[in-house]
Amino acid sequence: MSATNVGPELRAETAPAQPKGAVLEATGLTRRYGDLAAVDGLDLSVHPGEIYCLLGPNGAGKTTTINLFLGFVAPTSGSARVGGLDVATHPLETKHHLAYIPEQVMLYRNLTGVENLEYFATLAGKGALPRTDLLRILGEAGLPAVAAERRVGTYSKGMRQRVGIAIAIAKGAEALLLDEPTSGLDPKASNEFSALLDGMRQRGVAVLMATHDLFRAKENGTRVGIMRHGRLVVEMTTAELGHADLERVYLDHMRD
Amino acid sequence: MLSHVMRHEARSLAADRTLQAVALLFGAILVYALANGVAWLRVQETTLASAAADDLTRREALAAQIRALEDGTATPAGGDPRAPATLGGARGARLAALPPGPLGALAAGQGDLLPFYYQVSLASNDQSFVQNGEIENPLNLMVGRFDLAFVLIFVLPLLILVVSYNLISAEREQGTLALTLAQPVPLATVVGGKVALRALVVLGAAVALTLAGALIVETDRPGALVLWTVSVTLYALFWFALAVAVNALGRGSAWNATVLVGAWLALVVVVPALVNVAAHLIHPLPSRVEMITAQRDASNDAVNRRSELLARYYEDHPEMVQGLALDTANAAARSWAATEEVNRRLSEVASRYEARLAEQHRLIGRWRFLSPALLAQDALLDAAGTGDARFGRFRGQVMEFAEAWKAFFVPHVLAGTHLSSADLEAVPEFRFVEEPPGALARRVAAPLLVLTGLTLVVAGVGLRLLSRYPVLG
Amino acid sequence: MIGHIARKELAELVRDGRFRWAAAIVAGLLLVSAGAGWTRYRDVSAQHAAAAAATRAHWLGQGEKNPHSAAHYGIYAFKPRLPLSFLDQGVDEFAGTTVWLEAHRQNDFMMRPAQDATAAQRFGNATAAGVLQLLVPLLVVLLAFGAFAGEREQGTLRQTLALGVSRTQVAWGKALGIAGALALLLVPAALLGAAALLLGSAGAVAPTFGRGAVLVAVYLAYFGVFLAVSLAVSARASSSRLALLVLLGFWAVNGLIAPRVAVDLSKRLDPAPTAFEFARAIQAELSEPMDVARLEREVLDQYGVETLDALPVNFAGIRLQASEEHGDVVFDRHYGALWDAFGRQSRTHEAIGALSPLLAVRALSMGLAGTDVEQHRHFAAAAEAYRRSLVKAMNDDLAFSSVGVAAYAAGPELWESVPAFTYEAPRLASVLGSRTMSLIVLGLWVLGSLLVAAGAVRRAPVD
Repeated sequence: MSATNVGPELRAETAPAQPKGAVLEATGLTRRYGDLAAVDGLDLSVHPGEIYCLLGPNGAGKTTTINLFLGFVAPTSGSARVGGLDVATHPLETKHHLAYIPEQVMLYRNLTGVENLEYFATLAGKGALPRTDLLRILGEAGLPAVAAERRVGTYSKGMRQRVGIAIAIAKGAEALLLDEPTSGLDPKASNEFSALLDGMRQRGVAVLMATHDLFRAKENGTRVGIMRHGRLVVEMTTAELGHADLERVYLDHMRD
Repeated sequence: MLSHVMRHEARSLAADRTLQAVALLFGAILVYALANGVAWLRVQETTLASAAADDLTRREALAAQIRALEDGTATPAGGDPRAPATLGGARGARLAALPPGPLGALAAGQGDLLPFYYQVSLASNDQSFVQNGEIENPLNLMVGRFDLAFVLIFVLPLLILVVSYNLISAEREQGTLALTLAQPVPLATVVGGKVALRALVVLGAAVALTLAGALIVETDRPGALVLWTVSVTLYALFWFALAVAVNALGRGSAWNATVLVGAWLALVVVVPALVNVAAHLIHPLPSRVEMITAQRDASNDAVNRRSELLARYYEDHPEMVQGLALDTANAAARSWAATEEVNRRLSEVASRYEARLAEQHRLIGRWRFLSPALLAQDALLDAAGTGDARFGRFRGQVMEFAEAWKAFFVPHVLAGTHLSSADLEAVPEFRFVEEPPGALARRVAAPLLVLTGLTLVVAGVGLRLLSRYPVLG
Repeated sequence: MIGHIARKELAELVRDGRFRWAAAIVAGLLLVSAGAGWTRYRDVSAQHAAAAAATRAHWLGQGEKNPHSAAHYGIYAFKPRLPLSFLDQGVDEFAGTTVWLEAHRQNDFMMRPAQDATAAQRFGNATAAGVLQLLVPLLVVLLAFGAFAGEREQGTLRQTLALGVSRTQVAWGKALGIAGALALLLVPAALLGAAALLLGSAGAVAPTFGRGAVLVAVYLAYFGVFLAVSLAVSARASSSRLALLVLLGFWAVNGLIAPRVAVDLSKRLDPAPTAFEFARAIQAELSEPMDVARLEREVLDQYGVETLDALPVNFAGIRLQASEEHGDVVFDRHYGALWDAFGRQSRTHEAIGALSPLLAVRALSMGLAGTDVEQHRHFAAAAEAYRRSLVKAMNDDLAFSSVGVAAYAAGPELWESVPAFTYEAPRLASVLGSRTMSLIVLGLWVLGSLLVAAGAVRRAPVD
């Protein structure tokens, strides 16, 4: 029941196990705000069909990591690569490969789910998709057609998330970045969301999810990383985790 | 991609009824403004028609009297209409009229303040052409009309700010910006689409109403219409560019609204008002009132020296005398010489005044570049034909006409000869000659180029800021 | 409690960089425009005084001539400015400043300064009145739009109310705080203005200070209306952004749209004749021949003689005066109708004050500064009365002093017997009397905005 510190040798072992190269890859990724390092020399990679759960206390650098992959924040040093391309030098191209589900998926409240999907899918460069396709994709994301035709203003957080997933599907994104997706969801919605996420994994999408939800991390994740002070302090597969108590591991690493 | 963003924006704005409300409000304002402008144009047309009819009646009555005298069917009573002082004086005065501008219904401009017709006679002098105009309540003159030019210069920018003060800030505040920017589209494209749609609606309404106005007044000068439309477009684009630039600073919607209203107030209200005040302080005008004193001095003087003045007049104008001897000079000639002396001295005062006035106007002309609203007003009034330039041109031509009038009648006055009905054909007529379109275009080019430059600079700054837009926070 | 809130509010505002900037700009503009207004007042007063002296000298120095020639020569009258016109130049730029008073004719005013200006003049001059009517209300809006809406968004309103403070107390505290911030700006400006008046104005200062005190009250009421409306909107708006938008809309309608709507509406309701129609109508009536035969009979009967030559008076003078009076009736009717139309147009402006307090305030402000259309009419009437007395003096002299003289010429004694033209501006009570509609409209705005604000504040949501 001891947590395993993950060194470079572990990653060297797991990397060849993946059939394809990493979709999301951080090398020595660092972002400083003055003296404070929000992300500090982060090395991390997420491969197709993987769900990588990023754990850690508030301010550990999880959200900044996601923002670095999105190019919303420029790295101080190191690089974030998406599909082999550096985000800093290819801000637009890398976004072709990405889908993003923020903590609160905010959509145009006065438009319907279908209209929102159509807008974002076209922004993503998918051209004008026929209506039937849009409805089918929303269905795949778990949003029934009746709901899809309603204005988004009436949607719950979970329903808005499904539109977010639908955007990812429509876009054919190879990587999915999620920020605290299950916070504020009731247990049922949270469970349904897990199922959706697993569906994405089976499609071969590489998922990077920042979360506080240890239960979902253990349930969904194929790998778990714990961040503290901008550094990855532990990384393990859920298989390695076995019956170990993730909460125990987490708390052990929070001690000074 | 741009058209896609525009379609999406249209749908979004329509869904929260903003677009309908703005379009409806703006449409109503534009229609009201146009109706006011057309009503004012009709007043001018009616006035000019009655003045022309009156002119014609007077001339025909005089001609009939002259013919009757020549036929011997009447005998001279009172002032003989054949006398040059009568025919060239108030009774025979000729109407000099400025037809309404090509787009006069769109912008009243200076038309309610500056005279658009004069009666020219031997009694006309420099004073006659700075005075009088249409009767108008000074309160209404002070406030100004609700015409299309007012709507475009004052209201259009406000409307643009209302629909674009939160162009980007709203997206961030409602949280959609992050999702949008997670797509492979530059922010500038999204903003471009948003602006394009708004510009289409706002400018579309403005241009449509302009065209409607042009159709109603049946303008025959398409060039003016083009100039008007270009000016409105450039002016509107300036405000859109400003809204984008302020949005690109990345502050909240309330901040944007405050700053943009402040900018509107500064550029449309405060700067023009300060320019006016500064022009008065830097180039104070000598008092017009002093001209009255000068005129009285001159005329007192002249009345006392009539004979002496006539002698000098003969020396100065040998061409007018045609070999007449001084002692044959009639009373009318003596009186004329005195009048000319008064006019000459008055002209001296007037030209000193005009020189100072010209300096002041030149200063305002330079400083108008400080405010896009002043530039737009310049261009719009010039296009409409109700600006200072056209009225100045009219006054200049009328003054030339008054000279021609004198040149025709004065030799008769000095010779003491009467005119005959055959001479009536040769009496000079006034016809306003419009500025050639090329000259107009060259004059308006400066404000329009500066407006374009301003817009490009602001848009450039906006785009630069956009490329560094803080997505977070 | 209220004082406590007000102090906190004031401290917050004064520390806010935005307020400091805005206040500095408004104060600067107020200073510049009032200074420019003062210069203009001084210059115009000097010009008019010099010209009035010159025209009087011309009149006195015209030598020996027939009194009727002298009446034709006439004099000029120049509209004097009141000291307070430095704050509000009103319609002065657009109404003529000068009128020629001569025999037979009531002339139009001439010399409208705006006719010498470029079209830029139509944007208006920077005047203190403009700053007070447009910019200060905007400052009030910017200070007050967040009063409730902003605190709601921060969550501080919930906290304040949880402490047992009533909403009305909060509102009064905020109002006093904002008023205090404005006072920092306006009180020094008002003191400066009063000092300028005291030091710079010629003649008695009491009437000026009477007018000035009412002017101050009018503007305070106006700012109060804006403050109350802003608090009411802030109390009810779902977000501070919405509150700001609504208030900016109100401000734009108040200062921009309503005044112009009033222009075209007033003209539609009460059209004035065009200059051409006006002149033609007067000319037509003047050229109707006077019944000279009847006048002759009457005069002969009056003196009990048979022929004009036997009259102890010069009939030419009597006839001139009769024709003068014949013309006066025509002028009274036409000018009276024109001024009445202008008056009704002004009242339309004032009535639209129901939508825009600015219109009521502007009417009062111009009235108190002596620069409104009504006081222009007052001056015109005084000048016309003087013209008639002058012409009558000349005609009477001709009628009664020239009997039996072949080529009669009067001299300096006659010219001096006509007193110089002096003009006294209407008293404060009469100015306010002509502006009762604006007083009522402004009063209703004060009352209405207070009631609405009280209601809105009591029902202000917590979050």
